Amino acid sequence: MRYLSRRELLQRAGGGIAGLAFADLMNSEQARAAGGSNPLAARAPHFAAKAKAVISIFCYGGVSHVDSFDPKPELYKRRGEVMSGKGEVVVSQGNPGGLMPSPWGFKKYGECGRDVSDLFPKTAEMVDDLAFIRSMYAISNDHAPALFQMNTGSVLPGHPSMGSWITYGLGTENQNLPAFVVFTDPRGGPIGGAPNWMNGFMPAAYQGTQFRSTGDPIVDLKPGADMTPERQRRWLRLLGELNAAHARVNPDDSELSARIATYELAFRMQTSALEAVDVEKESAATKKLYGLDSKITEYFGRQCLMARRLVERGVRMVQIYSGGGNFQSSWDAHWDIAENHGMHAAETDGPVAGMLRDLKSRGMLDSTLVLWHGEFGRMPISQRMNGRDHNPHVFTVWLAGGGVKGGIAAGSSDEFGYKVAEGGKSINDLHATVLHLLGLNHEKLTYFYNGRNMRLTDVSGSVIREILA
Amino acid sequence: MSEIVAANCLGCHGAAVRMSGLDLRTRESMLKGGKSGAALVPGDPMKSKIYRHAAGIDQPRMPPDKKLQDWQLTVVSRWIGTGAPLDKPVEAADTRKAMAAMEEKPISEEERQFWSFRPIGRPAPPAVVDVGWVRTPIDAFLRKTLEDHKLEPSPAAGKRVLARRAYLDVWGLPPTPAQVDAFVNDTRPDAWERLVDQLLASPRYGERWGSHWLDLVRYADSGGFEYDRDRPDAWRYRDWVIQAIASDMPYDLFARLQLAGDEIAPDDRNALIATGFLRHGLDHNVKSEMTRMDELDDLVVTTSNSFLGVTVGCARCHNHKFDPIPQKDYYRIQAVFFSTKNHDVPLVEEEAARRFKRENERIDDLEKPLKDAAEALKKPYRDRKMAEERARLPEYVREALRTPAEKRTEGQKLNVIQVEKTRNFSEADVVASMSDEDRARLGDIERQIKKLEGARPERLPSAMAIGEGGPKPDPSYFLYRGSPDSKGSLMRPGVLSVVARQEPEFPPPPPGARSSYRRKAFAEWLTSRGNPLFARVMVNRIWQHHFGEGIVRTPSNFGKTGERPSHPELLDWLADEFIRKDYSMKAMHKLMLMSAAYQMSSDDNAAGIAADPENRFLWRMPRQRLEGEIIRDSMLAVSGTLDEKAGGPGVFPFIDPSLFQGSSGRAWAGKPDSDPSTWRRSIYIHSKRSIPLPMLDVFDKPDGISSCPRRNRSTIAPQALILMNNSFVRFEAKQFAKRVEREAGADPGRQVELAFALAFQRAPDAAEKATAVKFLDGGGESLADFCQAIFNSNEFVYAP
Repeated sequence: MRYLSRRELLQRAGGGIAGLAFADLMNSEQARAAGGSNPLAARAPHFAAKAKAVISIFCYGGVSHVDSFDPKPELYKRRGEVMSGKGEVVVSQGNPGGLMPSPWGFKKYGECGRDVSDLFPKTAEMVDDLAFIRSMYAISNDHAPALFQMNTGSVLPGHPSMGSWITYGLGTENQNLPAFVVFTDPRGGPIGGAPNWMNGFMPAAYQGTQFRSTGDPIVDLKPGADMTPERQRRWLRLLGELNAAHARVNPDDSELSARIATYELAFRMQTSALEAVDVEKESAATKKLYGLDSKITEYFGRQCLMARRLVERGVRMVQIYSGGGNFQSSWDAHWDIAENHGMHAAETDGPVAGMLRDLKSRGMLDSTLVLWHGEFGRMPISQRMNGRDHNPHVFTVWLAGGGVKGGIAAGSSDEFGYKVAEGGKSINDLHATVLHLLGLNHEKLTYFYNGRNMRLTDVSGSVIREILA
Repeated sequence: MSEIVAANCLGCHGAAVRMSGLDLRTRESMLKGGKSGAALVPGDPMKSKIYRHAAGIDQPRMPPDKKLQDWQLTVVSRWIGTGAPLDKPVEAADTRKAMAAMEEKPISEEERQFWSFRPIGRPAPPAVVDVGWVRTPIDAFLRKTLEDHKLEPSPAAGKRVLARRAYLDVWGLPPTPAQVDAFVNDTRPDAWERLVDQLLASPRYGERWGSHWLDLVRYADSGGFEYDRDRPDAWRYRDWVIQAIASDMPYDLFARLQLAGDEIAPDDRNALIATGFLRHGLDHNVKSEMTRMDELDDLVVTTSNSFLGVTVGCARCHNHKFDPIPQKDYYRIQAVFFSTKNHDVPLVEEEAARRFKRENERIDDLEKPLKDAAEALKKPYRDRKMAEERARLPEYVREALRTPAEKRTEGQKLNVIQVEKTRNFSEADVVASMSDEDRARLGDIERQIKKLEGARPERLPSAMAIGEGGPKPDPSYFLYRGSPDSKGSLMRPGVLSVVARQEPEFPPPPPGARSSYRRKAFAEWLTSRGNPLFARVMVNRIWQHHFGEGIVRTPSNFGKTGERPSHPELLDWLADEFIRKDYSMKAMHKLMLMSAAYQMSSDDNAAGIAADPENRFLWRMPRQRLEGEIIRDSMLAVSGTLDEKAGGPGVFPFIDPSLFQGSSGRAWAGKPDSDPSTWRRSIYIHSKRSIPLPMLDVFDKPDGISSCPRRNRSTIAPQALILMNNSFVRFEAKQFAKRVEREAGADPGRQVELAFALAFQRAPDAAEKATAVKFLDGGGESLADFCQAIFNSNEFVYAP
């Protein structure tokens, strides 16, 4: 193949870089992403990294920190009292109540002795592998902006998601599978819909691909039932011949040949995607580990198991949503938190713990970063008698594997879990840390758009060093 | 200590500005603190926010733009540790003055001389050696550059190629075999000009070029965010754009109506619909001063990107880092839009509006007794469920309920109010608990209500327009760091000062006005000769869509971080010509289409590729990958299923439900592929922000959230999957096959010829024909498979 100009390389990378002809305007990251014939070709990180892939468990609706991993005995001691001394108490849906104790008790687990509530007994057993951040804060107490912020760094939609940034930075190691896969809950997708995993201003190559948990994983992966593989191969040959005739007058057009290559890839993807999600290939013990033997955990467990299989095959990022739709179908426990969180934790606790164990026993946990988070936390005071409203001022997330130090807790919330007490961490900090663990410098991973070099972390963010191994 | 505070803190937490409500001038105000509580705990630095933020223990570190030095931190810590004595307020005498000075940023003469800000000249078309090639002044500019670089223009394209190119470019549809033949057989010397005129005269042109404009104005049929509610009248703006472009509305009027149609022609419905331009931003679920600032930002950014080609949005928090755009410009342009309000104007006579209201009231009156009866039936059951629910409350809450009101603690009061306001079961739960008899009676009442509901009049058609509360504009301010908590001076309306040497006048509104008329004045400046960006930016956009890339390849960024023009003189000549032709877009299209450059072949040419691989000097026409919409429309056209009906509410093609599982009422009522209501041009597809149509999405249709001046052009495997396997594509392939069979009969050779003529506007060569005929011999659905292979081929998805 003839020498390709930088410009053409950019165009082949999706041409997302409107008219950056001058070397001085050329963003070096964009040039890097465009440095081959394929926008998703695997690329070396900025520096040596432990994590190669990310699995994000998104407890959509907002999982409560004070009922899970951030015990607050004060809530029991002062139950029913007004929360005072914290400034104005802002609730998203009005009618604040008094301090409400957790319906779950807490116990100490592991060598590290961290407290975990009875809501997550199986995750609790893995506590020595988890790094908690108990001082996360977000900007918005409204679902859609908070989801967008957790996924893209911005409360406004239209920005590339973290998965897009990661695949833009690193490409993917298996060209026969999508680089960034998203599983939604059977009860519905998250508020805000597709912009949660979209590419924003980046080329379409970097958007998340929604996987289904049953049947063909990708919409339009396979032709209609009447199309046999033989017929399809014959068809592809015909297409090849039509394209070859067209190429005779345009022998040098790399864009045309790149397009022809996408058909070969799509054809291979038909078999490799099906193979990747075929959990029936797993042993009975493994299936049990993920909870596939129980009706309650079967659905989420299948998604977790598919996530491991995808990461094993080189997929860069998998995001799984627990909870969908509204109110009790998501973690959005405005009322009856015992019922709400009880149900969602019962579905996910075993599979998440099983996945951690499985990754560990296969030696994959070291290179796979697992994130567990919601879009914000929940209030220490009651709402609608036995529920909790949104709390963006402080909440807990945990990370595991992929260069993370286990058994520790960074930062803290105040005595009620209403606000940050020490070492507040922003979403930008979290994103900076995830990129760092993948070997990417969040200040250098930029994309030139609308007059400036955009970043996942906008203009701030620092790596949370306390949790690095 | 006083010096450290004065020098580092008072800019944002002092007399003029109190970010987060925090004032650090006195000991008392430090103790009082701001939004997040006390800033100072005397004696304990580790509990004092002023220290914690300065030391970076708490985020964000303060001050945000610099780090205090260690000795300074030691001073702060010791001062707090010794009880924080402060006998007189910290005063930076010149704070106010310093703040006011921060708002000013003079623009130098040199900055005004940046190429895009200079007045538009009228360069003479240069003399060239190869005069025979030149057909229009455009060609002279282009040929001169090619000669300077010792490049030869590509030969002229054949007539069939030209026909395909021009139809796809101007209409977004491939020509029919009859249309191609008419052009090929037209031997008159002005055959091409006749074709160009014919294409530009068609409503299809408005649909194609309207879609370029809709990209730019982030058009969508829903509001985004949590509810992503449909906007049932948004399409009227889409239709207005299509019609304005099809009827060659002068571009300056086109712009003025979108910014200020309500002020320019308050009685003209179409002018009101045009202001929908200002309504396409996102629906924020939570309304706050900050989200209002975001809404205004959307207007400032979209207006300045679209009409001015500069990134004024970069000056929201500080002066623009690269361009001479002071932050004050941002807030003065924001002041232009500050008083705007959403204004839905019914598009019916007043009598009809009154009738609508009366009819609804009549139904309300009929429903009232029915609803009361239903409520009376349900109430006892609801009360019982409520009692059951309360019995399950934790003891400390029940205790609060038992405690007499006057003896309740503050916390008990809160909890009692909450319990009284709460009901955690649904009406369906109440109904389920009813006796069979009562439930039957309720069902009967509800059926009657439902029948009445069915008799309600249909919603009134409305213009999704913009208005203001009155002639007096709301006051707006300079915001330090873009924060509504840090207000500076009151802002007068203004424009882009780097190109406006003299501030334009914003005259007071006429008597009886319902708005401030600021937008009208702004629009008049925007479209005036004194603003060189207006014409320059638009002719570049028109050029970009005809020639694949703009003369400036960053079409909404004519600033320093944008690209310099490849042919600056040509760009100026075009801009000047645009103004001379009274901003007629059709005149510009014709000028460009008539050029020899546009009629060149796009075929590869080794010398050209070696010398100028990017084709910056336009030695050939670039081949262009079609947008997803045009690929879809081409399938519909070629298969003979396209419904050319124009305008009206958006249509809903099928989307696999697993891609949009609902939340907060998000839904997509997709029709099956076989439903003819969906066989419309893609511009008429309902554009929902949270549910993109996969077929368009994978081909880089923009998200309708921010202005998109130039689409990405990805080449990725999901595109292949959709064209290979999507049920719509398969359906259309079968329709195409049926058409071929119907029109060409059973002979495979003739079938192949017709399919090629329909899809590629040419005959197959012998080898192609042989390959295809052999394929058709495969039996089964070979013809449909062949037709689908055509849809997938490179030739089909590229404009030649």
